[in-house]
Amino acid sequence: MTVRGSIVAPAGAHGPGEGSSLKRLALFLSRMWAWLFLAVMVLFFVVAVPLSTGGSVNFLTIRNSQNILVAIVPVLLLGLGQTFVLIAAGIDLSVGWVMSLASVLSALALRDAFNSGAPLPVAVLAGLAAALAGAGVVGFLNGWIIAKLKVPAFIVTLGSSFIVRGVAYLMSENSTVIGLPAGLGAYGNDALIYYISGPGGGVYFLHRPEVGGELLRRMEIILPYPVLATAFVLALIMFLLHKTQFGRHTYAIGGSMDASVRSGIPVDRHVIKVYMLSAATAGVAGFLSTLRFTAGSAVIGDSLLLSSIAAVIIGGVSMFGGAGTVIGTVIGALIIAVLTTGLVMLNVDAFWQFIVVGTVVIVAVLIDQSRDLIIGRQRRGAAQ
Amino acid sequence: MSDALLQVRNLRKSFGGLTAVDDVSLEVRRGEVVGLLGDNGAGKSTLIKCVSGVYQPDAGEIVFDGATMTFTTPMDARRHGIETIYQDLALANNLDVGANIFLGREVKKRWLGGLVHTLDDRRMAQQSRVTLDSLQIRFPTLTQPIETLSGGQRQAVAIARAVYWDAKLMIMDEPTNNLGVPEQHKVLELIRTLRDRGVPVVLITHVLPDAFAVTDRVVVMHRGRKVAEKVTAQTNTEELVQYMVGARDDDVAA
Amino acid sequence: MRKTTLAALAAGVAIALASQPTLAADKLKIGFLPGVVDPFYQVMQLGVEKAAKDLGAEVVTQVPPTWGVEAQTPLLDAMVARGDLNYIIIAPVDKDQMVGPLKTAADHGIKIITVDTYLGDGDYVKGPVKFPLSYIGSDNIEGGRIAARGLAKAIGGKGSVYINSTNPNVSSVEGRAVGFKEVMAKEFPDIKVIGPDFNLDDPNKAAQQTAAVLSREPNLAGVFGTNVFSAQGAGTAVVNAGLGGHVQVVAYDATQLAIELMDKGVVSLVLAQKPFDMGYLAVAFAASDAAGVTSLPPRVETGFAIIDKDNVKDPAIARFIYKVK
Repeated sequence: MTVRGSIVAPAGAHGPGEGSSLKRLALFLSRMWAWLFLAVMVLFFVVAVPLSTGGSVNFLTIRNSQNILVAIVPVLLLGLGQTFVLIAAGIDLSVGWVMSLASVLSALALRDAFNSGAPLPVAVLAGLAAALAGAGVVGFLNGWIIAKLKVPAFIVTLGSSFIVRGVAYLMSENSTVIGLPAGLGAYGNDALIYYISGPGGGVYFLHRPEVGGELLRRMEIILPYPVLATAFVLALIMFLLHKTQFGRHTYAIGGSMDASVRSGIPVDRHVIKVYMLSAATAGVAGFLSTLRFTAGSAVIGDSLLLSSIAAVIIGGVSMFGGAGTVIGTVIGALIIAVLTTGLVMLNVDAFWQFIVVGTVVIVAVLIDQSRDLIIGRQRRGAAQ
Repeated sequence: MSDALLQVRNLRKSFGGLTAVDDVSLEVRRGEVVGLLGDNGAGKSTLIKCVSGVYQPDAGEIVFDGATMTFTTPMDARRHGIETIYQDLALANNLDVGANIFLGREVKKRWLGGLVHTLDDRRMAQQSRVTLDSLQIRFPTLTQPIETLSGGQRQAVAIARAVYWDAKLMIMDEPTNNLGVPEQHKVLELIRTLRDRGVPVVLITHVLPDAFAVTDRVVVMHRGRKVAEKVTAQTNTEELVQYMVGARDDDVAA
Repeated sequence: MRKTTLAALAAGVAIALASQPTLAADKLKIGFLPGVVDPFYQVMQLGVEKAAKDLGAEVVTQVPPTWGVEAQTPLLDAMVARGDLNYIIIAPVDKDQMVGPLKTAADHGIKIITVDTYLGDGDYVKGPVKFPLSYIGSDNIEGGRIAARGLAKAIGGKGSVYINSTNPNVSSVEGRAVGFKEVMAKEFPDIKVIGPDFNLDDPNKAAQQTAAVLSREPNLAGVFGTNVFSAQGAGTAVVNAGLGGHVQVVAYDATQLAIELMDKGVVSLVLAQKPFDMGYLAVAFAASDAAGVTSLPPRVETGFAIIDKDNVKDPAIARFIYKVK
């Protein structure tokens, strides 16, 4: 079953009266352009970075690739929830602040659990539970007001973002929650694989090997736990969206609310679930940031909302609902992260990333609209 | 009366001060196509919406398949086998043919002892093809989003959806609106196919040629009242027009 | 004292470089990562760049757009990933949260010099955080004390005063508030201290918060703005409330706006830090360490210039106003 706007749809799936191969190429490019842009950008940095540093710095290194993966964690998590919401023709402006709230809640729960004697893994689970619970409440309220009271999503999530921000500040201690148990950093920063190259080296799993000096210098950290957690969430969201009735109904509601209502889909309940899902991914993001920085922060998600929306749009999700894929969002997040990292490595002021990302977003929407133009011409030709 | 699948008796529906349906009775028998004619504002849509569960009538009763019915929601009516195709078709443009046919009633595969459900896309595609074939509807590909299909093709998808779900009665509101001539023919052909398969059709239209092409009987409404009921073969255009504009009135309220 | 130390260091570096000619050919690469975009760090960058030019080092600079670990960490990670930096000079935006990311950098062989703010408790010899090479910055607690005494004098020893600060858990502004409160508690018991409120480095918020306090505290006699944006915002609020001259403002950080406000009589005292020194010394320390110097002090306090309307025109003092060309 295909859905409009699917970036991974086979290029040959066209209607009757196909038109020239040029048109087919144009359509193919319009779907895959984000992939192409990412590839071109990576290629550019692979060539430019060594050139600009006289060969002393390389772009495609293990360390850099892992940095990029770590960098996309918060944006991607927020983007995954936002993908679902946008496909359902909604929008969630509260995700950045839900992430902050989740960070604060998980830090408080973790600290309290640990201080009352719980072993660290249990305290960590308590933190996760607190993050998800808090996020879930916000998501439920967002969805309920949007579905039952019929207030536009833009307004509801904007309003709730202010409320959430206030709650996060109030619950934190001057916007940070510190005093978390010492071993916590391992959960947020350790990785699956540690690789030490050269003599005396080796491959280690799950825990940081206790080495120092030269060996430590050569150690590569591969697949940190937050990246693995994000990959898990990514797989889950992909499954939900593309393989389940829940995902199918999300596309339907975004494509035609009317058709969905008349088909007997419990639209109100579905909308609530979608907003709860969006908040939950933000909750996971907040929890992971607490683990990474061993502190809860009421400000950590503030700047991420716009980046998450940019990633989703670059990835091909339509602002009007009914179309888009998860892979697209991943590509969008990667483009932003690769760009930032590459600019730093070129020693170009990182502020340029904002200009480039903004341009790419606008280009993404233009390409999306031009696709309709190309299809439109085909559509008229298809009437028999 | 065992031949009558649907009986509407003395139905009344008002909105505020406006009486949209005023004491209307009609009957639809198995194996026939009934045309519901009338100019804009005659009350055809309102009458139909009462039968299909969108509105609750203020007075009168609906008897379907021998039993008195009160439909509180559209799903209620559909569950009993009354399928309505409105002018906007209620299709999801961004989904493909199969997804639309199964919208809201998707076929699922169970895993892990019922804990996890996934969409059984293959089964749905298969069933869609069977249904479409039985209605002799040919689509070049089932996997395009239906927004790329023509108006007539989308009508066909809406009809196929209703048929798959074992419609016992099909109500169609202005189905040939906005269609080119060859497509109009196709839709009318589909209506005949339905009737031949034993599914009676109520066809709302104000296009008289359509009524003459495909209906067995016609009911004319004017300003909320039923003003005529004729066997199609025994009437003609001028006569029906006169009823529709209110120049003639048989006052046939039962 | 500081001047002779600098001269000695410079001489030492020159001698060391001269005696090891191959070292000069292997250019020293330093990363510079301040806290945020503001005049204080911009002057620091001038110091960094001058030293780099003088000592033949190459500097890679990135400035986070906002103050926060989520803004500074990705830039830090990218700098580390380059693989070609020997030193990173950084103003850590959180004294606890930045320990992890900076330790990782240190593990990869990059030496860390903290400027303006420190990690842990700032004692890199006996404290919990030991890996940075040195902390070069103001003695902010002492600065807070100076600010307190100056404000107390300006308001006549009694009344309420309000502290407006930027971010919690940042060693610099934290120290200033601590020193300020300490002196007020010990030496001026008749003065009531309100705050601090945190404006998260947003001068608009600083203005709003100050305005709110102005309207609800009848006895408010003075305001202490603990850094660039706090002082700017607080001063603006005082002016907008028409209280310029009646409510005394002490500003930490000598931006041109702060000096303007002093000329207008709104600000009575400005504490100028020495960011140029911090930047220059940091690079000099890196060069010295690279040349084999092992006796670098783990903590350098760069001192203050205390500016009031009597000495603001004196060129020896005015040179410490943060001017970014």
